[in-house]
Amino acid sequence: MSALSRDAIRTMMAEVLQAQGKSMPADDSANLEEIGFRSLDFSELALRVEDEIGDELNFDAPELRQIATISDVLDFLEQLQAA
Amino acid sequence: MSAGAGGHAGAANRIITRGFDGRWDQLEEMKLPDAAAVLVRDNHDAARAVWAAATADSEVLVASRTRVTPDLADDLRAAGLAVVDGDDVTPPTTERDATPGRVWLLTSGSTGRPKQVAHTLASLTTVAGDQPRRTWLCPYAHGAYAWWQVVTLSIAHPGQDVLFIEPDELDTWPARALEVGVTAASGTPTFWRQALYRDPESVAALPLEQVTLGGEPVDQAILTRLTEMFPKARVSWIYASSEAGATIAVHDGRAGFPEQWLGRETEGRATLTIDDGELLIASPKRGEGIDKVLRTGDHVEVVDGRVLITGRIASDEINVGGAKASASAVRDVLQAHPAVAWASVRGRKAPIVGSIVTAEVVLSGEATDAELTAWCAARLPDYSVPRRVRFLDQIPIKETLKSDV
Repeated sequence: MSALSRDAIRTMMAEVLQAQGKSMPADDSANLEEIGFRSLDFSELALRVEDEIGDELNFDAPELRQIATISDVLDFLEQLQAA
Repeated sequence: MSAGAGGHAGAANRIITRGFDGRWDQLEEMKLPDAAAVLVRDNHDAARAVWAAATADSEVLVASRTRVTPDLADDLRAAGLAVVDGDDVTPPTTERDATPGRVWLLTSGSTGRPKQVAHTLASLTTVAGDQPRRTWLCPYAHGAYAWWQVVTLSIAHPGQDVLFIEPDELDTWPARALEVGVTAASGTPTFWRQALYRDPESVAALPLEQVTLGGEPVDQAILTRLTEMFPKARVSWIYASSEAGATIAVHDGRAGFPEQWLGRETEGRATLTIDDGELLIASPKRGEGIDKVLRTGDHVEVVDGRVLITGRIASDEINVGGAKASASAVRDVLQAHPAVAWASVRGRKAPIVGSIVTAEVVLSGEATDAELTAWCAARLPDYSVPRRVRFLDQIPIKETLKSDV
């Protein structure tokens, strides 16, 4: 199965937040801490992506970096799919 | 009480298997070596093997053919048992004298290759005294501890008839049970959940006086459902294993057993203790060679004066970013939801937090992923709330009648 688009990952991220009773801001520079997107949510999003593409993501592949904003999350998951 | 053939008081009890409807002492004779592992195709084979061993006072192990791999068959032969498969008899590779009355059981094998545990008909017969006349349903796997419980009850006590159900009859047994007049039924919580999910009306129509659960952790939701469905029946749960024997029997319709039972020493009964959250049992009905005080590997919690057996220690804990979620606790919360017929909970490898809680669910009513998440969030810490919920069409059930183990 092909990689998910940035928009598709964004929609999934919104779903994860919605399941937690939170909303996804329109601005991708929004800070994760402020919108309440925590490590558990990030983990869930990663598994949703894995389920959708039917493959495991290799988290060891990309360099670890600061993930502070919505944009960082989307960049990271896009990069993981390409790894 | 008069004894029947071979001194067995239940010899005249009626047993019904696929292909046989008659008394124990009318079963077609099966010639067995003095020490035999009998690989059976069905309950008819199994009943014949049991009756042959019981009347000849010989040594026997009964197991489904499907359970015994070539390696296990070699182990059994090395242990001095001839392996009997239909008309084929493979001699043991170790010569020794048979032990009269010895009954071997295979453990469930959930922790690896099945082991053999030594019992006798007497140590497997855990029901004593006069029993009300009943027709039992026995859906358990051939030769399993719970299967032997029903079998020895029927052999030892008059008026205890048995309808045996094969694994491929698990979908259709209620109609057969009604036809035969079953008044007592024993099964795992998964067995009952599946029956109530598939065909609650047929199950409810059964004139049950005794409903028994065992083999898996028994939660309040299933006990309540069965108590409400059969208000005139005694609803019991039993804690038993091949190693410990039958050690706990609770008849008040509530999950767990009273905390006052802990540490109590009563002649002929098991002594129950807790060490570091694990149930320890010293049972007079334990298999031979089993530690006097057996570490069960089952996790227990004391809640409101009841000791709840929640699940296997080895598979219960899910480490979510350093926080410890209990799979059994999450499962119980899901199964307490009115629209959930069955649930199974596991950890799934996940980035950052190591693992997250996931669930498989079978619904009996209407509920969405979001509703189940909200239900759990209201009752569990956030790290225990399932993050992925998969809906299944039917309750998975193994030949052991269990789902998780």
